[in-house]
Amino acid sequence: MTDTPTPAPLDIQPGKPGLLQRLSLVWLVPLIALAASLWVAWDNYANQGTLIEIAFENASGIKAEETEVKYKDVTIGRVESVEFAEGLGEVLVHARIDPTIAPYLDQDASFWVVRPDVSVRGISGLDTVLSGVYIEGSWNDEPDVQQYAFVGLEEPPIARVDQAGVAITLRTKDGSSLTSGAPILHKGIQVGYLETPRLSADGQSVTVSAFVDAPYDRRITTNTRFWDTSGFSISLGAGGIALNVNSIASLIEGGIAFDTIVSGGEPVEDGDLFDLFESEEVARNSLFDDPDLPVLNLAILFDGSVSGLTAGAEVRFRGVRVGTVTDLSAVAVEDRVTGPLVQLRTIIAVEPGRMGLSEEATPEDALILITDMVRTANLRARLVTGNILSGALHVELYEDPDAERAFVNLGAEPYPVLPTTDNAIADVGDEAQTVLDRVNDLPIEELLTSAIDLMDSLDQVVRSEGVSQAPDEIVALLQSTREIVASEDMQAIPAELRAIVTELNGIVGDAGEADLVGRIGEVVDTAGVAVANIDAATQNLPALTAEIEALVAKANALEVEALITEATATLNQIDGFIATEAMQAAPEALVGLVDEARVLIASEDLQAIPTDLRRVVGQIDGILTTLAEADVATQLTSAINAANSAAASIDTAATDLPAITAELNALAARANTLDLEGLVNATSETLNSINALVGADTTQDLPASLSVALDEMAMFLAEVREGGAITNVNAALASAADAAQAIETAAASLPALSARATALVGQTDAVLQSYGERSRFNAETMSTLRDIQEAADAVSSLARAIQRNPNSLLTGR
Amino acid sequence: MGTARCARCHGALQSRDTQSLQKVWAWLIAGVILFIPANIYPMLLTNTLVEKSESTILGGVVDLVHHHAYGIAAIVFVASILIPLGKFLAIAYLALSVQRRSVINMHQRHKLYDVVEFIGRWSMIDVFVVAILSALVQLNTIASINPGIAAVSFALSVIFTMFSAQSFDARMIWDADRTAT
Repeated sequence: MTDTPTPAPLDIQPGKPGLLQRLSLVWLVPLIALAASLWVAWDNYANQGTLIEIAFENASGIKAEETEVKYKDVTIGRVESVEFAEGLGEVLVHARIDPTIAPYLDQDASFWVVRPDVSVRGISGLDTVLSGVYIEGSWNDEPDVQQYAFVGLEEPPIARVDQAGVAITLRTKDGSSLTSGAPILHKGIQVGYLETPRLSADGQSVTVSAFVDAPYDRRITTNTRFWDTSGFSISLGAGGIALNVNSIASLIEGGIAFDTIVSGGEPVEDGDLFDLFESEEVARNSLFDDPDLPVLNLAILFDGSVSGLTAGAEVRFRGVRVGTVTDLSAVAVEDRVTGPLVQLRTIIAVEPGRMGLSEEATPEDALILITDMVRTANLRARLVTGNILSGALHVELYEDPDAERAFVNLGAEPYPVLPTTDNAIADVGDEAQTVLDRVNDLPIEELLTSAIDLMDSLDQVVRSEGVSQAPDEIVALLQSTREIVASEDMQAIPAELRAIVTELNGIVGDAGEADLVGRIGEVVDTAGVAVANIDAATQNLPALTAEIEALVAKANALEVEALITEATATLNQIDGFIATEAMQAAPEALVGLVDEARVLIASEDLQAIPTDLRRVVGQIDGILTTLAEADVATQLTSAINAANSAAASIDTAATDLPAITAELNALAARANTLDLEGLVNATSETLNSINALVGADTTQDLPASLSVALDEMAMFLAEVREGGAITNVNAALASAADAAQAIETAAASLPALSARATALVGQTDAVLQSYGERSRFNAETMSTLRDIQEAADAVSSLARAIQRNPNSLLTGR
Repeated sequence: MGTARCARCHGALQSRDTQSLQKVWAWLIAGVILFIPANIYPMLLTNTLVEKSESTILGGVVDLVHHHAYGIAAIVFVASILIPLGKFLAIAYLALSVQRRSVINMHQRHKLYDVVEFIGRWSMIDVFVVAILSALVQLNTIASINPGIAAVSFALSVIFTMFSAQSFDARMIWDADRTAT
């Protein structure tokens, strides 16, 4: 039996470990776990974000635990719960926001729900169709007093809070053309947006916030003016109809534009209020309508009626508005010469800034300027027609070069008095009537009738056969003449004359035989006595000479030169007349003349002349024979006696000789002074004209028509003579001359007429332009476009609704 | 030195691990601590194109019930909530009973210990599901599943509980009986 060996006795020594030794290291594990859990819990709590509350009227699409809150498209938080506010009026959305962002959520923070949006300006938020809506926030980059409750916006704001720029408020009376998001244009570039227009608290005006992006906001100062560009404008002017469209967006949504017309304004700050004007022109004019702007008040005393001038009418200087008529009143003036006098006092307010002075110019500066201009440049006030249709007047400061010296009455009350000049009031009715009358008075129809008659007459003359037959007639005339010369009677004339001479020779011979010489001596003696008498008479010559000189002086005094001038002019006129086409008819007359001459020459009376001549010679011969047979010498003696007595008579007459001589001299002198050269020239011109006439085609063509019958020519000549065609032509020419003179007279007044017409057109243009801006057509077009815009808005809202709730298409809701 | 050593292997010789209960309690407390965030924080982070959801264990069970998946809901509920809780309670009960040297129900307690030790590993089902889903469903923006803090916490909690069970020396159940006799 083998005993199982017992193991060696164990050396057991119970230890005495301390508390720390007995504590297991495993205890670190729960400690670490606890620490880790606590850390996780704390971390989770710390990072869960700040709870904020956003109140929305419409929480469409927002889901608890799902909808994100984004800032600049980065998720910064999440909606935790959605509940109703008390009264169920609003939806309260609780959201956790990243704690690093939360301090920025101050009072300027805004939240809105981003949904798909389709508008004129574009499509936005398309990504939310799939992912669902999210809440977008906007705030500036500076932490402020942190807020925990916000009111959400129903529409995305046009301008984000953190956007650089300036937000201003615009005030207008009519917001019909303004829509949210409408562009703000500056020189045609979009620089900002309008927010939603709102009715002001008092309901009197519409205010709309506008945001202008940086850096364009620096263009806005307190002197900036905004106006409604209203989509498009139609202006009717002298150049036709002009259609101006700024942009498609502004066509549909409306829009405004601005400009800083005058420099020197203060920079604007957020929230500054501006007026919105209906048009650019009004906006620009309004710059000077600031009631705070200092104005220079002047009084003008107009004579006569100022009907048509109203308070508010413009005061213009060189066509530019410089002020306004502020008051019209009648005022009694005490005149030392004429006694009390009622004058119409017009008070005008002139804006110094418009007179070219600087912005800081005071009314006193303007008064000094105007006083100087009145003195040096004759500046005067006058009434001019502003609108020829309505008859409205305005006051013009006019630099009248013809004005008499005048001064501004600086001492007058209540305001200095500006001197006036003649008014330039145009009555359109009278002007038009005058123009029409002048046009009506032009004898155009008579002129035309005369001209037509003249042409007809000339045509007839030229076409007449008689003209072409004139050479034939002349040839016939020459032949007739030759026949006469060649006639036997004519041939016999020389022989008979010789016989007469022979007989005279015989008579003279007889006279020699009858102591004719002695008789002649007596005669000569008598002549000597006569000469002596003449001699004696010549002793009276000095007196005669004086008379002659007086006569010559008298003759010289005669306006012979004028006479010659007139004669020359007459010749010139004749010349001109001959040169006229009227004288083209002269050939016919000439032909008629030649014809008549030929008839005359061909007449038996003329044929009988040689016979008669010969018979006369024969009779003379008979007489001489008779003389020879009678006591010719005795007769001659007695004749010489008669000659003697004649000499005595001459002697007697010689007494009058000086006077005769003087007259002859005067005549000679007068003849010398005659403008013979002019006469000759005129004559030669006349001849030239005649030559030209003869050389004219009509005359050249004469041979071509030789075959035409003489009878017709004669008949035509008779007609011409009887019908008085030339007279008619002359009368026609006279009428034409009168008409021309009338036209000339009218033309002389044409410049003035043209000037007035130009002024008329200018005024009409101005009127049309002033009417074009606010015409009924324009208004109706605008209203139509507004209707279109409303329709577009409706479509837009429908699209928006569908995109917000796409399933409504399916569900039919 | 006061510690007996094996003459052959020089290992420290000890009839009872005197720090056994300390270890049990330490691991148990750690497991309980981590079990809290495991149920508070999301287990699964699910991102899809249209939504992003986080689900806790209990939330998942509720969802499953809402979707009338009662079977799966029951499995998840039992495996992820009932069993861990039961283990905590069982281990705590065993440890307390040992400390108080209770002599009643020694056989049952030993069986309980065996069950606890056996069943502990099955509690990791949830973690496996999360791990598999996270690995499989990674489709970028369209859909993705990620483990949340709770997944880590839950896994640690289960592991710590298993350590706790391992630390328990079942012989101590019977020690009380010996001392009593």
